[in-house]
Amino acid sequence: MATQRDAGDLLQGTLGILILKSLLLGPAHGYGISRWIEDATRDVLRIEEGSLYPALRRLEDRGWVTSEWGLSANNRRARFYTISAAGRKHLRNEASAWLRYSQAVTRVLRADPAIA
Amino acid sequence: MTQGLPERAPRWRRYLRFALFVRADVPAEVDDELAFHLAMRVERNIALGMSPDDARREAIERFGDVGSVRTALLDHDRRKHTARRRAEYVSDFVQDLKFGVRALRRSPAFTIAAALTLALGIGANTAIFSVVNAVVLQPLPYKQPDRLVTIGFGSTGEYFALRDRLRAIVDLAAWVPATHPVNVGGDAVRLNGVAVTTNLLPLLGVSPIVGHGFTTADGMYGNSNVVLISHAFWQREFAGAADVIGRKISIEGSPFTIIGVMPPTFHYPSDDVEYWQPIVVNPNNLGLIWGLGSRRMIGRLASNATLAQARTELQSVWPSLRRSNPLWDPGPGYRAHTAVTPLQTELVGSARALLWMLFGATLLVLLIACVNVANLLLARAVTRERELAVRAALGGGRGRLVRQLVTESLVLAALGAVAGVTLGWLAVRGLVAAMPAGIPRADEISMSGRALAFALTISIGTGLLFGLIPALRATRATSAGSQSSIAGSGRRATSGGSHLRVSGALVVGEIALAVMLVTASLLLVRSFAALRAIGPGFETTHVVAGRISVPYARFAADTQGVLAFYQNVLNRARALPDVRNAALIDHLPLAEPVWGIAARVQGQFEDFTRGLPMIDHMQIVTPGYFATMGIRVTRGRGFDDRDRGDAPWVAVVSQTVAKRFWPNGDAIGQRVGFPYASPWITIVGIVPDTKQDSLRDTSSASMYVPWAQASRRFTGEMWLVARTTGDPAATGTDIRRLVHEIDRAVPVSDVRTMNAVISDSVTKSRFTTLLVAAFALLALALGAVGIYGVMSYLVGERRHEMGIRIALGASRASVMRLVLRRAAWLAGVGAAIGIAGAVVETRSLRQWLYGVSAVDPVTFLIVPILFLAVAALASSAPALRATRADPATTLRDE
Repeated sequence: MATQRDAGDLLQGTLGILILKSLLLGPAHGYGISRWIEDATRDVLRIEEGSLYPALRRLEDRGWVTSEWGLSANNRRARFYTISAAGRKHLRNEASAWLRYSQAVTRVLRADPAIA
Repeated sequence: MTQGLPERAPRWRRYLRFALFVRADVPAEVDDELAFHLAMRVERNIALGMSPDDARREAIERFGDVGSVRTALLDHDRRKHTARRRAEYVSDFVQDLKFGVRALRRSPAFTIAAALTLALGIGANTAIFSVVNAVVLQPLPYKQPDRLVTIGFGSTGEYFALRDRLRAIVDLAAWVPATHPVNVGGDAVRLNGVAVTTNLLPLLGVSPIVGHGFTTADGMYGNSNVVLISHAFWQREFAGAADVIGRKISIEGSPFTIIGVMPPTFHYPSDDVEYWQPIVVNPNNLGLIWGLGSRRMIGRLASNATLAQARTELQSVWPSLRRSNPLWDPGPGYRAHTAVTPLQTELVGSARALLWMLFGATLLVLLIACVNVANLLLARAVTRERELAVRAALGGGRGRLVRQLVTESLVLAALGAVAGVTLGWLAVRGLVAAMPAGIPRADEISMSGRALAFALTISIGTGLLFGLIPALRATRATSAGSQSSIAGSGRRATSGGSHLRVSGALVVGEIALAVMLVTASLLLVRSFAALRAIGPGFETTHVVAGRISVPYARFAADTQGVLAFYQNVLNRARALPDVRNAALIDHLPLAEPVWGIAARVQGQFEDFTRGLPMIDHMQIVTPGYFATMGIRVTRGRGFDDRDRGDAPWVAVVSQTVAKRFWPNGDAIGQRVGFPYASPWITIVGIVPDTKQDSLRDTSSASMYVPWAQASRRFTGEMWLVARTTGDPAATGTDIRRLVHEIDRAVPVSDVRTMNAVISDSVTKSRFTTLLVAAFALLALALGAVGIYGVMSYLVGERRHEMGIRIALGASRASVMRLVLRRAAWLAGVGAAIGIAGAVVETRSLRQWLYGVSAVDPVTFLIVPILFLAVAALASSAPALRATRADPATTLRDE
């Protein structure tokens, strides 16, 4: 149970970071965000696109993104998300923690003896 | 998931929100967003070369469970939407509140006037409702109080027979007043007690808080020396000592052991009962106690019986008992119409009507207060028309404006409620202090939660009602005429007229209500004056009376000794300085009920089986009574020392008796008798009718017999009356002292002048009259304020017109007449409606009236005139203001 929940939290938190990161480029709708993640991770991180939206709501509730309705590139009504100042700050903190963590894991994995 | 959001809003707020807001379309937004995503993905897939079907399948596969995502989003968005609306609503409300308080502070005169008006209405209502609630509405503090019934009174023998034979009424118990001299340690005092059957307390479901109740054996002959005392008695005489059980007190000179203390809330059968002792029954000698009796009976309706069934049964069983009476046959109609009365109805009795009448009066006051406040708010709304127009033009929706105005009047109502509840609380304490004795359950009266809830309801109700009407009117006027209002021209023409009509109608209604109340009050005042103007038929100023209570047991054991004691008291009282005459009587007129008697009349009514006429009052007196009380013996003679026990029996009757039975002849020498077998009594004198039971007595057939010949009917208790030429108070003190010197075991109580006795006898009428008069004055004052308000408003509205009239040469007097005529018109219409209402209303007052008709022409003439005068007075200041309208200024304004 406990490990599962931890994994879920990690995943959710990770998804949030990816979304915030994608919004650094500018306001985007949900589909745009999923396309960006697809491209940026070269399809390595295959996320279930449906989970994007609850994640966006959570980010909005915490004040990290805002949303409003607008027109998409092909002139359709779409909901656009924008990262807020608080969102940027959160992204910075999370990103550096994530980098430190992944570097540490990487270092451990690369240490002797090498993995066969 | 989304933690930290508040729970769902309370129902009323959701309701309000539902009424006041248009909901955003949450589902549509969610669906749009998800559909957009899927459509984009499908398009891309097709662009990558998939068939449309594959493209759709792949898009959905990538997306995951569309349904559950949609549900989660809907849930989230709805919650969020609700929270936001709530926050908006609260912040609006806070804003309204601040705005309301600020607006009210800007016009303190208006605020104080309105809040005070409401406070008076709410205060009066809360106070009277508290009393009504405690006395009439609250169930009695007994076990299943709604099943308890009373069935009148009878002898002990009848009680036993009824207890055994009735099926619809179970657990029948009985009680009889047992007021006796009681001696705890010092001097004897006269205390109110009752003798009860031992099943009474279990019937009521009440038991002592200290010690235990009666056992069945306590009611048996020879075991009767136990007593239960009241909480007040316990506190007063024993300082609440825990070891009171087992102590002895002397009642009627016999020792009684205290076995228990009753709870402080227990007062059955009346508030002034201090002790309960068992009714003593000799089971071997029921025949002896089978006679005339005054055992009041109370029982419980059987679980399957109705009141009507119980009555039917009682009315067949009770008359069948009359043959068992060995002393006399009361005739075939005996108890044939006995009623079964719910206990609460009997206890509350006449107080119920009195309290509902007072409550009606306060409701009228509250209505008037509300109308006044509505008028004030209306006038104020008009002066703020411009402000509202601007706000409406700036985009404040109508709902929002109405809400703001209603909030403002709720703030006002809250102010009124706080002041009103404070006033009401003070008034309840005042009322309880001023309440005449004999209002049942007076000790239960307090500001209960129910009374507070009542006050709160009426204040919020008035706030809403009287904020809403002006608010709706003001905003309607605004939305219709906002352009012109802002422009400033023609605003008088657009809305002033209709506002005035509403104000006028409100004032007319207010005056009508006030007229009804003042009419009722004037009728009561005139009744009271008529009552006080009645002479009782005897001297009142120089006569002092006091009650002397010789224990009945002692009287029964030593009749001659007690008669000698009283003779001794009488002789020494006559020898007191300043005392010119003194006498004894068994029931002091106007101080306590004077019982009547069914009498035989020789040659006219001799057979009791065919019904006997009633003599309304029967009095036992010593020689000298008529002289002491200043009652002139018009024919024959009064009593003197010849009328001893062994002399032929004699009586003195009042004029009505003489006229009724011997209309053409001389009553002197005629003979009357008691209903049972006894010697004939010869009438030796005739006196004028005097008041006996109360000043309201309409029946005045009285019969007096000399005490030496009436020992059969004598109870041991007598009133001493003494006529003095000096200070009555000093004589009263002398009487107490001399009785005390003769016998310390004989208490003297209720020493007063006859003036005080009469004054005390009308306490209830005085109390009612004063209260209603106070409410009427309040109504009159509020009516005057109402007229003043509407006329001031009218003069303000028509200042231009007045100015123009004056400029065109109208005299100032004619302008003043214009205003006064309008006020008189309002007052006249109001008074006419009010008088019509009063004709209906005062019919229900009849039982309180004395000496005046319910449609007393004087009252019905005075009240309208009074209101016209008040209207003239109240509008004189606005009228004067109108004459000062300056043509130059008004024209410039225009």
